[in-house]
Amino acid sequence: MMMLVLALTGGLYALANLGRVGALPANIVPFLILVFALMLAAHVALRRLAPQADPVMLPLAALLNGIGYVFIARLDSQEASYQAIWTGVGIACFVGVLVAFPRAVNLERYRYLIALGGIILLVLPLAPHIGQDINGARLWVHVGPVNFQPEEFAKIALAIFFASVLAERADLLATGTRRIGRWLVLEPRYLAPLVAAWGVCLLVLLAENDLGSSFLFFTLLVGLLWIATGRWAYLALGAGMFLGAAVFALDVIHHAESRVQAWLHPWAHFATSGYQIIEGWFALAAGGMWGLGPGQGNPQIIPEASTDFIFASIGEELGLVGLAALLIAYLLIVGSGLRTAVRSQRSFSKLLATGLSLLMGVQVFVVAGGITRLIPLTGITLPFVSYGGSSLVSNYILLAILLRVSDDNAREQALADAAVLEAGPDAYRPVATASPTAVTEVVRP
Amino acid sequence: MNGMNRRVRLAGLATCLLLVAVFVQLNYLQIFRASALDKNPLNTRNVVLRYEQPRGAIISADGITLAQSVPSHDQYKYQRVYPEGALFGQITGYYSFIYGTDGLENEYDAVLSQANASVTFPTDLQEVKSFFTNQPAPDNLHITVLSRLQRLAANELAGRAGAVVALVPSTGAVLAMYSNPTYNPSALASHNQATEQSAWKKLTSGPSSPLVAAAYRERFFPGSTFKVITSSAVYDHKPSLADKAMPVLTGLPLPDTANQVLHNFAGEACGGKLLELFTVSCDTGFGQLGLDLGGQSLYDEARAFGWDRPVPLDLPGVAESFFPQPSSFVRNAGALAKSAIGQESVQAVPLTLAMDAAAIADKGVIMTPHLLGRVTGSQGQTVTTYRPKQWLRATSAATAAKVTKLMLSVVNSPNGTGVAARIPGVQVAGKTGTAQTGGPNIETWFVAFAPVPNPQIAVAVLVENQPIGTEYQGGTIAAPIAKAIIQAYLQSGGKP
Repeated sequence: MMMLVLALTGGLYALANLGRVGALPANIVPFLILVFALMLAAHVALRRLAPQADPVMLPLAALLNGIGYVFIARLDSQEASYQAIWTGVGIACFVGVLVAFPRAVNLERYRYLIALGGIILLVLPLAPHIGQDINGARLWVHVGPVNFQPEEFAKIALAIFFASVLAERADLLATGTRRIGRWLVLEPRYLAPLVAAWGVCLLVLLAENDLGSSFLFFTLLVGLLWIATGRWAYLALGAGMFLGAAVFALDVIHHAESRVQAWLHPWAHFATSGYQIIEGWFALAAGGMWGLGPGQGNPQIIPEASTDFIFASIGEELGLVGLAALLIAYLLIVGSGLRTAVRSQRSFSKLLATGLSLLMGVQVFVVAGGITRLIPLTGITLPFVSYGGSSLVSNYILLAILLRVSDDNAREQALADAAVLEAGPDAYRPVATASPTAVTEVVRP
Repeated sequence: MNGMNRRVRLAGLATCLLLVAVFVQLNYLQIFRASALDKNPLNTRNVVLRYEQPRGAIISADGITLAQSVPSHDQYKYQRVYPEGALFGQITGYYSFIYGTDGLENEYDAVLSQANASVTFPTDLQEVKSFFTNQPAPDNLHITVLSRLQRLAANELAGRAGAVVALVPSTGAVLAMYSNPTYNPSALASHNQATEQSAWKKLTSGPSSPLVAAAYRERFFPGSTFKVITSSAVYDHKPSLADKAMPVLTGLPLPDTANQVLHNFAGEACGGKLLELFTVSCDTGFGQLGLDLGGQSLYDEARAFGWDRPVPLDLPGVAESFFPQPSSFVRNAGALAKSAIGQESVQAVPLTLAMDAAAIADKGVIMTPHLLGRVTGSQGQTVTTYRPKQWLRATSAATAAKVTKLMLSVVNSPNGTGVAARIPGVQVAGKTGTAQTGGPNIETWFVAFAPVPNPQIAVAVLVENQPIGTEYQGGTIAAPIAKAIIQAYLQSGGKP
């Protein structure tokens, strides 16, 4: 499978160069060796460190990474060399996470530390001297030569934190215990950490003008709350709160308002805020069903063609068929992630895997939906494909955690099977019910 | 735990639905709305794309390159150049980033652009490369115009406003089509916007724009050249009039007018039968013929000769020649008499008059006029060749033969108005025209074809803005130009 991905990426790279300058790229051999080495390293590391993890997700991510690289190289060779370095760093982090956390549960131990880290990361761009405004949103941090978008990492930290808190308190959050009038209301202190975390990240994101990410966090929190407790009210409450926050944001933030205007009336704002989305549409229309072919189009007309709008760039040259393949690849990754969640016997692992998978799925939707004008456009990246170190590295970390959970499942299943074999069929049940931490924790308060 | 799994699956389903929504929207944008978006005027993508690709060359029948794309090393990859400049400007047209296209660049855009490039099987490495890059070299357009005839036409006009159109009667192929003022399309094809804009401003600011080619986009009073059609109408509609001896007059009183009189040129007196009237271009005689024929007959004949209908030349914006509706002559017979001699509101495009001469030459048939000769692929192989088509039957072969006799007499008779067109050893048939414009100047014409009996070329020559003199200037000014063109063409035996 990895081989197939490598062949696809190499072929696409060669074609894109042929299409653009009519010659095979001069660096095709070193390029192929590098890609080959990186992907092989990731593959071998995964086989050694998490031998029973899902075999599909890494090749798919590698494919997305490869397609993204080809398009970045086709648009800007300088960015491509950075992206190659970031791919290396991403895979190093991928291996690092697998080494550092032999069990997903290990993550749970550091949840407050992780949460704190996540919040610090979120606040970082607001800090004077190192924070930086780019395109109306304050998302960037630059320390020395390195610029990065901390929110990409914060989302993983928050997913871990939410998963662990919810795994512990799901039952408490599912039913009210304090009576106000005729309503049973939740004990506030159970909800407090979540609300606090949510409040901080929302405030920070509003201060940073980043609507896309705030929507992402919101979906993560509300989705996990609902999945953990089964209360539809959380979904309704979440939607209501988000709408409230959004309306408030529109009043306060000019950046957000112009984005919504561009969404509702892109043609009227062609010269200004609607320009990018319409150029994106022209690119998609030019691509049509089969695309113009790699290297044959003019995606460089679109602003941010290699980052936020790489989806449109790919649509121009690979067409509807190429984008459909891309969407299917994401669905397969998200699907594998959710299957991992379903198979997981621990609430924490289950919620973690769900959260991370949903993060990826919703992020794809926010980007692609923004470009196709299903929702207002917000500047976030397409996982694994867009140009950008923070995005690439954080998504490799996300993938490593998902694969770690997947490996855990298989091993626990094997242990359980072994137990069943030793003690007969009846012995299975205690293992299964004893493992979720939620059950033991319920007794404590 | 099971409930949680159910909800995880539901969340998965929701994600799935979100991405399906994206997919559906992509279908809408990339398939259903794609062509509308492609055609949106705000969409510069196609323009940029076109400028990044080479465009086919336009080549004259004698192998001179009239337009081609050369690598440009600027923001676009290719620059359109016109090596012959103004000489072919009104035929090639321009290829402008801001102002679009005109002429052949417009008419044969699909041939010249990449879109229709004929794909050949790659046989060497270079071709394998271009096969993969989907950039086969574009096809080239070979036209029927001979650049040496075109140049001769320009030289003969010598900067005077006017037009020369030469056709092959049997095929409709355009051999030369030149008019003054003309323009050089190079500046309009510039990649520099300021250069383009100032060139455009210059071309469109004057009273008569060179973009409106006199040869095929402008109408003029045809004057006596219209007598070719009047004579043909006589043979077709009232043959007896051909033998009716008209009284010798200096002026014909016009009916339905307040004592207006139609005078002969320079106050001469003339009369007689059709042959005599035609040879000396007798206005009073033809005025009477027009009155005798009636408006309907003249109108029908003009229609048959390609007037009052769109001309199918393969260029954009070809003008129609105009002959008034028969109803306009009711209680206005004076206008009818004047129309019969190509005055009043009758207006001709030089191209139409050349086609009418060709109709007489080609036994009454008007072939579809065309510039397209053949299309060749990047390796010189012929992709398509133009096949001549009949456009109209103007008149019968018998009538054409009779009118040919009239036209021969114009050149051959000692008292003919077109003696200046005589070529030793070649029978030239022609008709002069000297049209009053209402101003101090006149328009001089000569239409001709040769050699009789097997004509190979038909010509219409117009020289505008000539001072009124005592000679038939159609014969002294325009006829020598027609003669030069015919002679040059026949000397080479019609070969490039």
